[in-house]
Amino acid sequence: MSATAVVHSLLTSAAATPAADRIPTPHIEYAQLSPVLIVLGTATVGVLAEAFLPRRSRYWAQLGITVVGLAAAFAAIIALAADGYATTRAHIAAMGAVAVDGPALFLQGTIVLIALVAAFTFAERRLDPVAHGNRVDSFAAQGSAVPGSPQEMKAVRAGFTTTEVFPLLLFAVGGMMIFPAANDLLTLFVSLEVFSLPLYLLCALARRRRLMSQEAAVKYFLLGAFSSAFLLFGIALLYGYAGTVAYTGTATAPGIAQVIDGSANLTPALANSTGNDALLLIGGAMVIMGLLFKVGAVPFHQWTPDVYQGAPTPVTGFMAAATKVAAFGALLRLLYVVLPGMRWDWRPVMWGVAIVTMVIGAIVAVTQTDVKRLLAYSSIAHAGFLLAGVIAVSPSGVSSVLFYLVAYSFVTLGGFAVVTLVRDAGGEATHLSKWAGLGRRSPLVAAVFAVFLLSFAGIPLTAGFAGKFAVFQAAAQAGAVPLVVIGVIASAIAAFFYIRVIVMMFFSEPQPDGPTVAIPSPLTSSAIAIGVVVTLVLGVAPQYFLDLAGKAGVFVR
Amino acid sequence: MNPVYYLYLAALLFTIGAAGVLVRKNAIIVFMCVELMLNACNLAFVTFSRLHGNLDGQIIAFFTMVVAAAEVVVGLAIIVTFFRSRHSASVDDADLMKL
Amino acid sequence: MNAYAPILVLGGLGAGFAIFSVITASLTGPKRYNRAKLEAYECGIEPTPQPAGGGRFPIKYYLTAMLFIVFDIEIVFLYPWAVSFDALGLFGLVEMLLFVLTVFVAYAYVWRRGGLEWD
Repeated sequence: MSATAVVHSLLTSAAATPAADRIPTPHIEYAQLSPVLIVLGTATVGVLAEAFLPRRSRYWAQLGITVVGLAAAFAAIIALAADGYATTRAHIAAMGAVAVDGPALFLQGTIVLIALVAAFTFAERRLDPVAHGNRVDSFAAQGSAVPGSPQEMKAVRAGFTTTEVFPLLLFAVGGMMIFPAANDLLTLFVSLEVFSLPLYLLCALARRRRLMSQEAAVKYFLLGAFSSAFLLFGIALLYGYAGTVAYTGTATAPGIAQVIDGSANLTPALANSTGNDALLLIGGAMVIMGLLFKVGAVPFHQWTPDVYQGAPTPVTGFMAAATKVAAFGALLRLLYVVLPGMRWDWRPVMWGVAIVTMVIGAIVAVTQTDVKRLLAYSSIAHAGFLLAGVIAVSPSGVSSVLFYLVAYSFVTLGGFAVVTLVRDAGGEATHLSKWAGLGRRSPLVAAVFAVFLLSFAGIPLTAGFAGKFAVFQAAAQAGAVPLVVIGVIASAIAAFFYIRVIVMMFFSEPQPDGPTVAIPSPLTSSAIAIGVVVTLVLGVAPQYFLDLAGKAGVFVR
Repeated sequence: MNPVYYLYLAALLFTIGAAGVLVRKNAIIVFMCVELMLNACNLAFVTFSRLHGNLDGQIIAFFTMVVAAAEVVVGLAIIVTFFRSRHSASVDDADLMKL
Repeated sequence: MNAYAPILVLGGLGAGFAIFSVITASLTGPKRYNRAKLEAYECGIEPTPQPAGGGRFPIKYYLTAMLFIVFDIEIVFLYPWAVSFDALGLFGLVEMLLFVLTVFVAYAYVWRRGGLEWD
């Protein structure tokens, strides 16, 4: 064969490939993945709208696109659940990459509803005073302009708004929806980044106190990237141990779970590496570490207060609620599906993490003087309570955590929405001393905030009580009684500072230069109203939702 | 050559990156150290892929590269806005929020 | 070995042409230096002055670098597909088109919002 013929055959061998060499096309169940696809598709449409619509019409277009997309995604989730994908027809879609089962659909539905409420608070433009004849929202006129520079003045005068926040929100939601459903470690990592990167950007976009907002974004970004690098190295080690990144599989094509519990047929190369427990232990620990960072558990909580304080308050509310839902979903699936064979190794560690998280979250919150930081530490303490439910390793553990997440997230959204209302000349008045006497000046707002705080504290007849009761019950049934005792003590400490804020709002004299309460548009009002309704309904009649979470509480394997 | 040496190298690079994140002050350099950690992960993935004789690890390395690129873009954007408003990229200057 | 001979020959031809052109140009061409010719070559734009005190240069470079990185690395997914696109069949083609389409959406955003304008 001449040299040219060889080269030619190199280039054209493609055409000569026999049909037997075809790579089998993967089977993707688009209908079952439709909720995620709808959200990500809507986000893409949002980017296009941002590119091609005139500036004037972008705000309403983006709001419409976002709300329609999220509503469609929620309808798709309900349709899937009605078709039995949450229970009897639960299975693993997309060639083992994504699970469609009860916990996944339940958490996806929760995340979509959170995002819908958050989109309302994102779109609020009645709170800030009208600037140069333009109503403005909580986001910077131009994110790239240096704070206080002529460029920024120009952007503000021209009435620019960063309507990109809506597509960013949707991209984050898309990632969060895949995160608890991810059924292999690669999907887990990619979806983690898909929801983290938009959140880093959203943090940097506050209209007021921009330096603080940018600082929060830098901190969140550097620490978040650091933690995801740990997660990735953990994934590498688990891959080295098991030779696969799939969570589950069959005996012939084993997932990590099968390799760990020894029911897999191992190739000789694999038998060599599975003998090495160091890979499994270190890898598992690093992956859990990455997830605990996102959850905000002690000792990986240092970013939480700064980021919550610096980020624009609607973003903080969304982040606090939705990130926690997504990350706890992923943590549950990892611990219950992949590592149940390892539970004698991880349970003691998670015990310790849960205890320090509850205790440190509650104690440090007592010393806080800023509302947003206070809520940040309270979210850390709540992560600890949730971990108590995770430790149970039982169906009631899963369902109690699912229920707690719903209760916690809507209360959190409502709480941060109230924070956006209390304002003075510098924007939001977040210092606690300024909230003194708020109950005298605007009893309704103070009363609503008090309801949220009582729910955080876990007072009976609120959602927080039902949630706490469920997780502590699950933990106690699983034999973690000391943990429950410490949890109850931590709740009592936490209740102290929540009630201190309530006392301050209602029983101290208002300051003469105190903040005013802005009258919100129906957008924020409905976000707050949803928070109140969820708090009371889940508090007074939790059983229906507990049953729902119980039915949804089985992971597909 | 024994492929396990590549794993030692990956662990070493990862440790250097992690140590760099903890001790360096400049946000850009901290960020470069994070990227070093991601690349160490890639080396580990590719080595394990070779050890196991399956291609999963190499595919994951592709995904890691793309994710790292997206992270670079978002990170640079955030760090540059931070730098422009303070004329410093030192993480020690990020001290507006303290207890 | 035989299979790689054309590549070696092509490499040799390329190197030969390059060496020949550079030597011929330096022997025969006129040498009239001016300031612009002596400056460092930076993609045809005004070279940046040496940074004083550790490296500051216009923000535009960052923007361009960021855009370049993102679009450059996305292409990594095209390589495995390009190597075996025939074996992947129509499914692979459609998926890849969808992928390229989403990259184009980002491109359209950058283009419409002025990310590609230098000034």
